[in-house]
Amino acid sequence: MIWIDGVLVSPGDRSLYGERMLRGHRVWDPYRSKFAALAHLGHGVDLPPSLRVLYLGAAHGTTVSHLADYVECVYAVEIAPRPMQDLLSLARQRGNIVAIMGDATRPEEYASLLEPVGLLYMDVASPRQAEIACAHRVFLEEGGPLLMMVKTRSIDATADPDEITRHVIDEISPSYRVKAVVPLEPYHRDHRALLCEGVK
Amino acid sequence: MKYSMQRYWFGDVTESGCTRAEGDAAALAQRISTLTAAMEGFVPLRWEQAVACGAAGDRAGYLARLREITSLLAERKIRDWYARGDTLLIQKVRMLEDLDRAANLVAERFQEWDRALHPGPRDELRDTAPRQALEQARGHAEGAQIPVISSVDGLALARAALVQEVSAGAGDILPNCTALVGGLVAARLLSAAGSLDALARLPAASLQVLGARAALFAHLRTGSPPPKHGILYQHHRVHNAPRNRRGKVARTLAARLAIAARLDRYRGTRDEEFLKQADEAVRRAGRGT
Repeated sequence: MIWIDGVLVSPGDRSLYGERMLRGHRVWDPYRSKFAALAHLGHGVDLPPSLRVLYLGAAHGTTVSHLADYVECVYAVEIAPRPMQDLLSLARQRGNIVAIMGDATRPEEYASLLEPVGLLYMDVASPRQAEIACAHRVFLEEGGPLLMMVKTRSIDATADPDEITRHVIDEISPSYRVKAVVPLEPYHRDHRALLCEGVK
Repeated sequence: MKYSMQRYWFGDVTESGCTRAEGDAAALAQRISTLTAAMEGFVPLRWEQAVACGAAGDRAGYLARLREITSLLAERKIRDWYARGDTLLIQKVRMLEDLDRAANLVAERFQEWDRALHPGPRDELRDTAPRQALEQARGHAEGAQIPVISSVDGLALARAALVQEVSAGAGDILPNCTALVGGLVAARLLSAAGSLDALARLPAASLQVLGARAALFAHLRTGSPPPKHGILYQHHRVHNAPRNRRGKVARTLAARLAIAARLDRYRGTRDEEFLKQADEAVRRAGRGT
């Protein structure tokens, strides 16, 4: 990952969604992107140029656009039609983004489009996040990490975030081993990032 | 494990070889939308298989082709989504809500402005409603006040036209809900639920408090009394009911609405027999017999 004077950036020659530019690089704002927040909190994930990424819950494609600056290609899955339109325009500009409109709780509907990836990134607002993670295990290469952004408020609006996180870790344990739990404060409230690796 | 046939976007792959899917991007997209992978024992494709199958020349060609097809698929889904009647109706309801908010905001500011212009003593003990103050200022409005008043008039005109469209649209898309609670309330419930599918899946207890989010979360967090009604309060049977019966009326109405929403989603036509019984049940709840 590229840092310029403590600012996380991605290589890109022009601003895509209004982000600041810094010496010919696009500034990657930790308040807008949980991936960037994770890097600022000391848990950056390596993004080699040969990496392929599967991104569930791509939304408007803010984080996707930065990842695509680094890696070989990003498979971006999103279900909501409105953000999907933004994601499609982004994909038209970037040759290495495959935008898939699909429901992450139903991978069988887009499984025929995906290849194995070296990084699985999840940022879905579904109460069934754990189930989704397990269902996509088959697309993650051996040794590749799963980055799971647990939106505790999407699972249960009233329960304790730590309690929910423990429950999620338990639920994904048949498929993933959790190596670190990172609260994303102060960048994102009530979010926990789980750094996981696939269980063989 | 035996390697069974895997169906991918570019064709079917078996142990012995690959059968390429024929046709242009549209034909491939069509084929993909009919594919449902068996996730048990699913083996993701490797792009080299697509090349071996003749679907692409190299990695760049593979990605270009795949991107063409996924874009086509997504565009088609987005088009279908916007073509559904409920999407348009929801936009109209939300526009209506915004028009009301905007008109009230402007009227309130106008009232303060007018009071600063005419600080003299006034007769009424309590404040007049902002919209009423606007009416009263019509005679003496000056300068930029005049176009401000006419812009509020314009919003009122837009609102009247939109109410007609929303009511008509609700009658089309939500015939049973509209018969129970009227077009405006039915359309607002639809907007709060997000889609007709979502509305039809809501339990009655959720329908009852739809639109009372703040009160509901206050209840869940601090244990204050739960809300009796949200959007449903706007229905005359609920807000005209005696205070001690409102909860019961709202609960009964919500129970019937949950059925009506399912009828609207899965049948789409009025069910007179159901409506008669539902109306009677709500009436009974209001009387308390």
